[in-house]
Amino acid sequence: MASQRQKASFPPDATRLMWMWAALVLLGGLEFGLSFLPLARHARPLVMLPALPMIVVVAVGFMNVMKGPVIVRAFAIAALLWLLVLLGLGSVDALTRIDYAVLRLG
Amino acid sequence: MAIASVSHEFQYASASHQAQTAIAGMWLFLATEVLLFGGLILSWIYSRHFNPAGFDAGAHQTALTIGTVNTALLITSSFAYALGVAFIRIGSTRGLIRCLILALLLAAAFMVLKFGLEYHDDLAKHLFPTDTPFGVTGSVQGGAKLFFIFYFISTTLHGVHMFVGMCLVLWIIARARRGDFSSAYCTPVEVVGLYWSFVDIVWLTLYPLIYLVGRG
Repeated sequence: MASQRQKASFPPDATRLMWMWAALVLLGGLEFGLSFLPLARHARPLVMLPALPMIVVVAVGFMNVMKGPVIVRAFAIAALLWLLVLLGLGSVDALTRIDYAVLRLG
Repeated sequence: MAIASVSHEFQYASASHQAQTAIAGMWLFLATEVLLFGGLILSWIYSRHFNPAGFDAGAHQTALTIGTVNTALLITSSFAYALGVAFIRIGSTRGLIRCLILALLLAAAFMVLKFGLEYHDDLAKHLFPTDTPFGVTGSVQGGAKLFFIFYFISTTLHGVHMFVGMCLVLWIIARARRGDFSSAYCTPVEVVGLYWSFVDIVWLTLYPLIYLVGRG
């Protein structure tokens, strides 16, 4: 009886959430460790890569994006799409621009 | 279904419909927030591309330890809130309140470290972009100033979101103490939880941009 009461007072989701938390801590540690790699300056944004699965873990594990109504996933996908358009179109000039040397006279 | 016994506003077909609409509404709001912070990220990409050395010099001035501890605090705070939602789904108001108080305390620790300690050190090191003399000198000064403009705007904006989130968590705690929530009705708890986790996601993006990328 006592064990039944204890079982009922502990959420069945708790174990899954703890795994999510552990995954986040591990990925955060990986990201922290990667930042000490001697990467070239242009390659250093790769250090951010573990942040992507971390965001997925929070969205799927804590925000339950896959469990809600379909429109929730539509809004989440729309947000990602708009973000990609914003970052893609916004940075395409900077990332593809060719700076030519200018000869200064005098 | 227990949810069928929960009352709902007249414009919804059922309590479940009302709950789903509230959750979808929060997701739509968060989608607009993604674009707000997306603009900031774009400014980072653009500014760093043209000032990589200045951005690296700026990143070296940041407090990596505080940033990393704060990341752990927010991850755990988000976990605590999600656990609180799991508790109320099985009808445990006490579990919900305990988890939310933990989430709130962790968030308060984040705020103290960020704005009480780290900002204090940043200002003492003359890293505010308008400081004369500025804390970073030489040819990289312009880029470092751009970095700290990004740093102060993004962390302040995130801090404002944290503060709003903390007020919302307090509101949820107050309502939970009044016995407003049960396993059949906990929509406000879930909706605020979405916002709380989103604030965590924003920090998971800002943390490497500010502290890690320029540190090599």
